[in-house]
Amino acid sequence: MKRFDRVAAALAAAIALAAGGALGAAAGDKTAPGKTVSTASSPSAHPSPLIYPAETIPLKFDHAQHARLGATCEGCHVSAQTSTSAADNLIPPEAACRSCHKIDRAQPDKAVPNGVAAARCDACHADASGNAWMPGNADRERRADPPRVVLARPNLKFNHQLHGARGIACASCHVGAAAQGLVTRADLPMMASCLSCHDGKQATARCTACHVAEPDGRVKTKLTSAATIAAGAIGPLVPSGTLRLDAHGPTFRRDHAVVGREESYCLSCHKRNDCIDCHGGVVKPPDIHPADYVSVHAIDARRNVPDCSTCHRAQSFCVGCHQRSGVAADPEGGIPGRRPQNPFGTGTGLKQFHPPGWARDPSGEVLSMPRASSHSLAAKRNIRTCVSCHREDSCLACHSTDVTRGPVFSPHGPNFAATARCRFLSARNRRACLKCHTPGTAQLDCEQ
Amino acid sequence: MSLPRAALLGLLACALTPSPVAAYEFSVDLRTIGQGYQVRRYGADGNNELLSRRRLTQYIDLNVVDIAPMYLRGDYGDRNVLSFEASLRFDTDFGGYMLGRPTGPDEIGELKQSQLDILYAFLGGRNVGGRVDFQLGRQLRFDLVDFFAFDGGDAVYHFTPEAAVEAFAGMEVRGELPLSAPIYELDGTSAGSRDPVTRPGQAKMLRPLVGAAALAGREGGPLSARLAYRRVWSATADPLPGEPTSGVNDEKLSLVASGYWRKRVQMVAGARFNLLLGEFDDQQLVLRLRTAARQWLSVEQSYLAPNFDGDSIWNVFAAGAYRDLRGVYEIGIGPELKTYARGFARFFTESGFAAGGSLGAVWRRGRGMLRGDGYWDDGTGGRKAGVDVAARAPVHRKLELEGRLTGYHWRSDQPVAATAGNGGVVFGAQAGGRYRLGEGMRLHLLGEDNVSTYYLSQFRVLAVFELEASL
Repeated sequence: MKRFDRVAAALAAAIALAAGGALGAAAGDKTAPGKTVSTASSPSAHPSPLIYPAETIPLKFDHAQHARLGATCEGCHVSAQTSTSAADNLIPPEAACRSCHKIDRAQPDKAVPNGVAAARCDACHADASGNAWMPGNADRERRADPPRVVLARPNLKFNHQLHGARGIACASCHVGAAAQGLVTRADLPMMASCLSCHDGKQATARCTACHVAEPDGRVKTKLTSAATIAAGAIGPLVPSGTLRLDAHGPTFRRDHAVVGREESYCLSCHKRNDCIDCHGGVVKPPDIHPADYVSVHAIDARRNVPDCSTCHRAQSFCVGCHQRSGVAADPEGGIPGRRPQNPFGTGTGLKQFHPPGWARDPSGEVLSMPRASSHSLAAKRNIRTCVSCHREDSCLACHSTDVTRGPVFSPHGPNFAATARCRFLSARNRRACLKCHTPGTAQLDCEQ
Repeated sequence: MSLPRAALLGLLACALTPSPVAAYEFSVDLRTIGQGYQVRRYGADGNNELLSRRRLTQYIDLNVVDIAPMYLRGDYGDRNVLSFEASLRFDTDFGGYMLGRPTGPDEIGELKQSQLDILYAFLGGRNVGGRVDFQLGRQLRFDLVDFFAFDGGDAVYHFTPEAAVEAFAGMEVRGELPLSAPIYELDGTSAGSRDPVTRPGQAKMLRPLVGAAALAGREGGPLSARLAYRRVWSATADPLPGEPTSGVNDEKLSLVASGYWRKRVQMVAGARFNLLLGEFDDQQLVLRLRTAARQWLSVEQSYLAPNFDGDSIWNVFAAGAYRDLRGVYEIGIGPELKTYARGFARFFTESGFAAGGSLGAVWRRGRGMLRGDGYWDDGTGGRKAGVDVAARAPVHRKLELEGRLTGYHWRSDQPVAATAGNGGVVFGAQAGGRYRLGEGMRLHLLGEDNVSTYYLSQFRVLAVFELEASL
């Protein structure tokens, strides 16, 4: 145990350092006054392309400049106040610009005095390359109409009207937009900002309050489309780790036990059969069990890493295969008085699975005292390894009090009768005790 | 008017009376999995041989959602207040692997030629009346320190969004029951044993299960906890004078708590007291930290003591336990490349130690993927060291090709006699592809061949056909 303590102490120090760094970084996050939340603390610097697919905004626009001149969010984005869907296009139409910009479509290069809002087309419109756009140019790119704004429907539910009615200011979510130039999908609010209110207390924390849902109420994760691929989407929607620190990274399939045991949370995206597909033990996952795993699985089984029991039951799955492959003897089911026969080699003299001295000495006599090479150490260390081949009757052959079965070696440690294990086992299920002991004998009693 | 005629008219009137339209939705997922592979066995002549195993597995999953009438539906996701979920599996084996297997009273559940299992099938209710969640039927339950399956009912009553109580009762699902898989059955007893002392008839006895839990904390909130109790027992099969008439098969008390802080730190702790053994048999403590954008550290400490069905003598034999320390550090280098380092150490209380680690990286772009992993571990059990490289590339909008190369060295720490083999080298190659046949239809084919110290070829083929349909 000393080695465990030393390793644990070193690890604790490393964690403390990492935690200090993490908390220090957290303290350094920018937070604006009131309900304003910084998205700088979110695990990814950019929003998911599956949530906000690719867009085209061929405009030159400076929010900061307009804000300095007294423009307000609501003044231009009028439709935002009544919008109830994230799919609504809330980019102000040309009419909204005309209140300041005296645009005349007949005069694309209309000049205005200094200090007056520009009215030329290329003051706002740009081509696909970001260059100023003017109509009537011989360049094929410069058509009669300016390149259009193309916004893909976000894979999200959002009601601007509802949020506005609750007094949530635009800048609470669109942090810093008023100080930016052109605002694109990269600047849209991310989940970390939503969660500052959607914490289950101020507002619902249900995933499908914002995420698009499948008919059965799960979060829809298959969102791939041409627009999401164009924005760089990879595979289905997976947690970024913002909510539960459960980013589905490269080790998640192997190390998801902690997150995975929170049933209701997993089922907010997964179908129940997703668990059984892997844990049902029908198909070998190649990243967990590499090629020819049968040859090497005994190493993992002896140390039980990974935990075999998460997919396999030793007394049915393991015993079944071990009997069939000739590793386990005793295919006759341990019928007393009948010698185990194995048609596949083990125990026939051609092959012996356990090394000499495992249970018997070279003369074939059962060992009366355990040795360093005998089976007792392996059994005490990890009995699951034994039960992947043996059934109870293998142990009963020598560890029962019934002398007709064979030698009588107690498996109980010193003072077992005085232990809590004796009292609890005996009080709850004496049937197990009676497999070795005779009813009514004093050996069945624990010390109180 | 005669009574039958009146009844018929009444039925007709009911049928023709306009009623609220309920928009049920059905989804059916079918997965057909065909596998052919070779299993190494010890031959009667002392040599290694390969058994041919051919296996066909059919999953049928049925979901019926939105069963509830409109007036029961609320905001957001509440539309699916009542639903029915079921998963059936038919598994059948062919090939030489099945020849000579134990049959009759010695038959082992997972070596049956064919099996039909209901993995789960229940009517579920969510947020019914704003207070109650329930499930009625065959269901799986799991949390940090427990998992089990039972046929029965489960109900959760929410007093407030932060506090709820849960009660469940039914019969434990066991492989001995018809249409039941033994996957989640507690280990330690064998239905294939015929030794009278092991009481083979006990396997067929029904096992009532009762349990309760108290839940605290709001969904998505910073703190949550679950305290749960569960007891499973059975009547004694053919008790003799002096024998108990019943016995407890499983009895556990568990507490799981989790907390999140500033969306950067997560701590989960769980402990389980086994009332059969009178001791804590499972303790886990997990700390996850987001150290920077796209960087994660996860550290776990756990203690696990083997435990078995209350009818098993191995609860007495299982003296040893183990403590684990595990750590993972993940670093994302841009949105497409992720790397990790992982390590573990296992300390056996009855002497023994094993440790190991792995390093790897995954690069993804669009539907393409390239992954490399290297690992090494040593100690109790033996030594393994190897590398694994996997790749997937889209070659058509409907077709992706994939491949994997694996090589490793292994050496067992327990010498076994003669030609059984204590170590060796394995090289494996996989190649295959996934083809999208249409909306919701996919075909996945994979071939694998392995060369090792013990044989020149060991072939494996896997074919999966998936069909998802919604009505």
